[in-house]
Amino acid sequence: MFGLIGHSSSFAQAQEKARDLGLEEMAEADMLAWCSAPPQLLETFKVTSRTGQTIEGTYIDSCFVPEMLSRFKTATRKVQNAMEMAQKNGINVTALGGFTSIIFENYDLSKFQQIRNTTLEWERFTTGNTHTAWVICQQVERNAPLLGIDLSRAKVAVVGATGDIGSAVCRWLSQKTGVAELLLVARQQQRLQDLQTSLGGGTILSLEEALPQADVVVWVASLPQTLSIDHASLRKPCLMIDGGYPKNLDAKVAGDGVHVLKGGIVEFWQDIGWQMMEVAEMENPKRHLFACFAEAMLLEFEGIHTNFSWGRNNISLANMERIGEASLRHGFQAIGLNPAQLSRAAQGGVELAAA
Amino acid sequence: MATLEAPELSAAVGNLPDFTTEAYKDAYSRINAIVIEGEQEAHDNYISIGTLLPDQAEELTKLARMELKHMKGFTACANNLGVVADMAFAKEFFAPLHNNFKTALAAGKVPTCLLIQALLIEAFAISAYHIYIPVADPFARKITEGVVKDEYTHLNYGQEWLKANLESCREELEQANRDNLPLIRRMLDEVAGDAAVLQMDKEDLIEDFLIAYQEALTEIGFSTREIARMAAAALVG
Repeated sequence: MFGLIGHSSSFAQAQEKARDLGLEEMAEADMLAWCSAPPQLLETFKVTSRTGQTIEGTYIDSCFVPEMLSRFKTATRKVQNAMEMAQKNGINVTALGGFTSIIFENYDLSKFQQIRNTTLEWERFTTGNTHTAWVICQQVERNAPLLGIDLSRAKVAVVGATGDIGSAVCRWLSQKTGVAELLLVARQQQRLQDLQTSLGGGTILSLEEALPQADVVVWVASLPQTLSIDHASLRKPCLMIDGGYPKNLDAKVAGDGVHVLKGGIVEFWQDIGWQMMEVAEMENPKRHLFACFAEAMLLEFEGIHTNFSWGRNNISLANMERIGEASLRHGFQAIGLNPAQLSRAAQGGVELAAA
Repeated sequence: MATLEAPELSAAVGNLPDFTTEAYKDAYSRINAIVIEGEQEAHDNYISIGTLLPDQAEELTKLARMELKHMKGFTACANNLGVVADMAFAKEFFAPLHNNFKTALAAGKVPTCLLIQALLIEAFAISAYHIYIPVADPFARKITEGVVKDEYTHLNYGQEWLKANLESCREELEQANRDNLPLIRRMLDEVAGDAAVLQMDKEDLIEDFLIAYQEALTEIGFSTREIARMAAAALVG
């Protein structure tokens, strides 16, 4: 049995979901009531690999909503209680989805292992970041050439380069993909310098400096609502992989030679009989899912019952390769630019050629 | 990946309260009284349930005795801090729930009696004790740690009986839930101020109570949807 811990993308959406589930009281309840709502085990479903192997999974809604981020105790309690619920239900490996892994990491919840009479066993949980990092790298490698970007001559900016996913993406792109130049963007200078040293290269730049130079931008940091990007200054074509959470880049910059791809999303080879991805606003909610959730499935398929992705900057290239091979074998693939985007890119190419 | 600025963790693992202040003792006089009264009523309730289930009376008497032992322990906690428990407040605090119990008992409604005592009150106690332990004075901490283990035994007793009889009492339980869960919510609201002085957070109390209660309902055999619906009555009651 594998588990997925998730949450609604907003308070309004959580209320709407409660109404769909017939929980009229919760749909009407205010934010304060939601702050005391316990996690809910919402669905149990089966997933069959391309190999024919079938496993069972469970979705736990932590009842966290992003509006609770400013409430430290509430946010941490939601994550801890959802984890306890997963463990008490005997789930072998559970992925911490959306903000839950971020809360765990940034609030250092590994210090609090005892939840009431339960001692959390970390080996039952994964952030899913190894698979997410691998998927994002695949998205860069496969989609850049479709836009006419030659990665061996391209500059790739990684925004949020020093994070767990960001640093793994940098390692892979510099050592496995062989991009011409990595532009490293993050807030903490010391971490950036350490990363640069460990990579043996890369150029440290501010966001404003990096964007106009980049042929590909990988976003693995959240974008402040106030961030504005000067579309005119961007290179055309430019591939942007929106690996942040929530995914809000498309509305800001897409169009006219700038192509935005939802990062860290995979498509499964067949429909999954679940409801949960509909609330994540996936394009194809029966087949599309977050790569971090898929990691829990892969670990269960492979019988790897350990916290495969855990802590910060522990993602190795070997583990990325291992999870990537499993991903392909069991029927996942990274989502790519859709035909409409590619057709726009082709038209843009013609216009550029004509000019 | 989003990023958050981590606040100082000291807020979460803060220092213990000053047990010697008048404000602490004042709040403690009511919280402690609730605990003492709760244990006394639990004793009486298990003995009463035994009259409806004569073949279980011996087991129920055993459970009841444990509650009396707890009561003595918590009385010692008050003495240790030099606090006199406000028993009049506590009796009034429990009155609505206690009246519902008495009505169900008179009508011979075992499932309702068990839902009130073995599920609601025990889940309430378990969650409150778990939250109290990290902020308790050393003497009370030790006693409470011993008590909380016993309370799971009591919750378990109610769970097992209701599980075995679920099909015949499902509707009665749903009604009992509707009638009594909002009372628990009101009780929590009533003590929130005093609990805060003891560094026990209302949000924590409600959520932890609902977790313990939901776990019991799961064990009894309710579906996840039914449980979510039943629990919602506590959040908006």
